[in-house]
Amino acid sequence: MSHRFVPVGWTRSKILYDAALLGGVAAYLVAYVRLAPLLGATPLDDQSLRMRAFGSGAFLLLTLALAIGPLARLDPRFLPLLYNRRHLGVVTCLLALAHAAEVLGWHFAFSPTPGAVALLTTEPGALPFIAFGLLALCVLILLAATSHDFWLAFLGPGLWKGLHQLIYLAYAAVVAHLAFGRLQDPGALPLALLLGLAVCALLALHLIAASREARVDADIAPPAPVAPWLIAGRAAAIPEGRALVVRPPGGEKVAIFRHEGRLSAVSHLCAHQHGPLGEGQVLDGCITCPWHGYQYRLEDGRSPPPFTERIATYRLRLVGGWIWLDPRANPPGTHVPALVLP
Amino acid sequence: MGWAARPPAHLRAFLRRLALGLPLMLLGLGLILGLAPQDPAGPRFATGGAPLPSLPMPEPGVTGVLTLRPYPLLHVGEGGGMRTLLLAGDGKQRPPGDLSVLDGQRVTAEGFLLSRGDIAMLVLGAPPRALGGATPPAREALGRWRITGEICDGKCAADGMRPGIGIAHRACAALCLDGGIPAVFVSQAPLLGHAYLLLAGPDGGPMDAALRPLIGRRVTLEGRVERLGRLLIFHAEPPG
Ligand code: FES
Repeated sequence: MSHRFVPVGWTRSKILYDAALLGGVAAYLVAYVRLAPLLGATPLDDQSLRMRAFGSGAFLLLTLALAIGPLARLDPRFLPLLYNRRHLGVVTCLLALAHAAEVLGWHFAFSPTPGAVALLTTEPGALPFIAFGLLALCVLILLAATSHDFWLAFLGPGLWKGLHQLIYLAYAAVVAHLAFGRLQDPGALPLALLLGLAVCALLALHLIAASREARVDADIAPPAPVAPWLIAGRAAAIPEGRALVVRPPGGEKVAIFRHEGRLSAVSHLCAHQHGPLGEGQVLDGCITCPWHGYQYRLEDGRSPPPFTERIATYRLRLVGGWIWLDPRANPPGTHVPALVLP
Repeated sequence: MGWAARPPAHLRAFLRRLALGLPLMLLGLGLILGLAPQDPAGPRFATGGAPLPSLPMPEPGVTGVLTLRPYPLLHVGEGGGMRTLLLAGDGKQRPPGDLSVLDGQRVTAEGFLLSRGDIAMLVLGAPPRALGGATPPAREALGRWRITGEICDGKCAADGMRPGIGIAHRACAALCLDGGIPAVFVSQAPLLGHAYLLLAGPDGGPMDAALRPLIGRRVTLEGRVERLGRLLIFHAEPPG
C-alpha cells in the first residue's frame, strides 16, 4: 500500500465507521439542541445553545479519539476503531470550528471592535480561557490539515507521529478552556463531573496500557553464547502466521514471524505510521500491519508491487530449538533467506 | 482488522454493538448535558427581584424624561409608577445620535424593549426627539453597601442573550461595555428585593474603568447605593 497509489480507499468498513461516527454526532447534537429543550431544559438562545452543543461535542469526540489508542493496545477488538481514527479527528476539528464560529458570530459580533482585536482584548485580568480555546483550535486544525497520507509521506512517519502527539497538548488546552471558563460558573456541576470522569478514564487507560508495555519492554533478549547473537525465544512458541516480538538491548524491537514452517525477522515498526507490525499477522503470504493493513513480504521486508515501502530485516539462526537473532538491522528491503524449521 | 473490507467474523458482533452503542451513548450524553442547568443566573433572575408591571410598547413610541448620568436613561411615568429604562443602540453600541443636548428634557423615543427581572432596556433605532424641558426624577440615598455579584452589560442581562451573564459570556459583556451599553451588577443575593443594580462609578459617571478586568467574575464591591424610582444604582469603587 502506498499514498502514491491509493489517494482515498473507501471500503465497506470505512463507510460503516463514518456512518456510525456521523450518526453519533447527529444524535448528540439533536439531543442537546432539540430534545433537551422539549424536556424542560433551561431555555437558552439558539446561538448559545449551539455554541455549547458543538463545544461539548468536540470535547467528547476528542476524548474518544485519545481513548482508542490505549484501548486497542489493551484489547485488539478495538483495533478497527484505530484504522479510521483520522476521520474522527477531522470531525472533532469541524465541531470545534463550528463552536468557534458560533462564538464569533454571537459574543464577538455586533460590535464596532473587530473580532480579532476583541479576541485579544476582552480577557483582562487573570484566568484566560479564550486563549486556551484558540490554542486547542489551532492544533486541531493543524492536525486535521496534515492528517492525509500525503503529509505522512512528506514528513516521514517519525516526524508525522511526533507532530500528531500534539493532540495531547490540544486536549490539555481544552480542559483548561473549560476549567477556566464554563466550570467557573455555578450550575456547571454535570459538566465538571463529566470532565473529571473523562480525564480520569483517559489517564487510567494510558497508564494501564503503558505499564503493560513497560512489562513487555523489560523483557530484553539475553545474549547468546556467540556475539552478537541474542536468544530470542523458542521457535515452537510462535503460532502460525503470528510473530514473537523481541527487544534487543539497544535499538528497535524486532518481530519474528512464523509462516508455513519458516521464520523471518523484520522491524516491529510499520513504515506507515509506526504501527506495531509484530501484533499483525501473515495474510496472503505477507506480513500485514494491524493498524491500516500495509503489507510487507517476509523474505525482504518490501511491500508487494506496485507499492514501494520497505522495512529493515534481520538474520536468524536456529540452535537446538532456540531462535537466535542478530540484532544488527539490515538496510530496509534487504533479502534474507527465511529460516526453515526442521 | 479495520482495514479489511469486511471485518473478520469473530469481530462483527462486537463491532455491531459498538456501532449502535456509541451513537446511543452520545445521544444520552447530549440529553444529560442539554438538561443540566445552563444559565449561571438560574431561573430566579427571570422572575426574581421586584417584577415590573408589563410595559407594552405604545405607538408611536415611549415618552419620558431623559438623563445622561451615569448612563442614558429614560424615566417613564410619574411618582410611584415611574420606571427607568436603560438606553442602548443596535448591537453592542450606545444609543444613536448626540444625546448631550437632550439631558433633562422630555423626549419621545422608539425602539424595542428587553426586560428581565427588575431591569428593562429600550433599544433605540433612531435618536429620541425632544418635546421640551422637564424635571429629572429625584434620587434617594440608601447608604454604603458591600455587595457580591457579577459585572455584566445591561443589554445581555436584560435578556438580550440567554445566558447573558457568566464567565463564558465575559468577552461579550466587555465588548458591550466598551461600546457604551450601561453596566449592571448582578447581585448574588437580591439586595432590597433587587437582583440587578445599575452599576455606576463613585463619581456618578459610568462604571470605573479599573473594574473592567473583573467583568464576568464573582466579585465583592463596595460603594453607595441610590434608589431611582424602581431602579437601584450602585456606585462601586474600584477594589484596593
Ligand atoms: S501504521 Fe498504518 S499500516 Fe502500519
